[in-house]
Amino acid sequence: MTRLFAHAITRRATGGPLVGLRGKPLEQITGGELGLWATRWDGEPTLSRDDAFAHHDLVAVLCEAGPCLPVRFGTWLSDAGAVRRSLDADQERFTSAIDRLADRREVAVTLLWRDPSAVRPGPALPDPAGPRSTGRAFLERRRTAHATTDHRRREAEAIAVRLRRELGIGQPDVRHESCPSAEVALTMSLLARTDEADALKARATAAVAAIAGVRGVVSGPWPPYSFTEELERGHGG
Amino acid sequence: MTGPLAALPDEELSVLDLADRLLNRGVVITGEATISVAGVDLVYLGLNVILTAVETIAQREARTR
Repeated sequence: MTRLFAHAITRRATGGPLVGLRGKPLEQITGGELGLWATRWDGEPTLSRDDAFAHHDLVAVLCEAGPCLPVRFGTWLSDAGAVRRSLDADQERFTSAIDRLADRREVAVTLLWRDPSAVRPGPALPDPAGPRSTGRAFLERRRTAHATTDHRRREAEAIAVRLRRELGIGQPDVRHESCPSAEVALTMSLLARTDEADALKARATAAVAAIAGVRGVVSGPWPPYSFTEELERGHGG
Repeated sequence: MTGPLAALPDEELSVLDLADRLLNRGVVITGEATISVAGVDLVYLGLNVILTAVETIAQREARTR
């Protein structure tokens, strides 16, 4: 069985590499003004970690060649006809996104709490007469956990606002998620012009180093993975 | 810091950050495309950031079944 493993969507005239994942054939299947770059894959696919980063390398080369829309890793299409139908169906959405992301790169910021287990309990409940019940202890633990989570989330949101202001980046060019896990305070993606991305990374590195209570790692520039979809109306991103 | 991420050097955190984006971000092709990471060796990805991505994929696949 042959299938197509998708990498990126570009304008149909854009050039690209000749070889896909694991040395397999790479094709551009066109539909309208667009072309989808895909590895032709025979047999049952078993993807690996290396495939994920090889996909990234391919997307990076394609984005160097011209305006490019990275496709989510793991996307399969059955044949060229399915690709054309998908490109035709979403031509406007893809074209708009490619235009928006032309000559843009993503810089990634991840902040880890230095003490992820820190607990900041809320005010104590009035102590009822008599021995403390198991139910009451459970409720107190749960309230403490919620108070900690809420405090952490507010703290992370404040850091996100601070970073965006310090870096002077407009809302449409930022995506962030607060407290995606117990250890991670904030993940943030910043969109920059290609020729300004390294400078933005340097400024972001300096900015996160000045924030107390977190360890910051700034990565990229990468293809603009986090900006392929428009912000929903009213989404603070 | 006490969690598993804290022990990683910055370079490895960057790699995980990239993997998170590869799995969770990028344009989604609707219609006839399927998204699957079945068979991906995720053993090494036993970290919260990446688990978030894996859970997202699992939820998406469950919704499309």
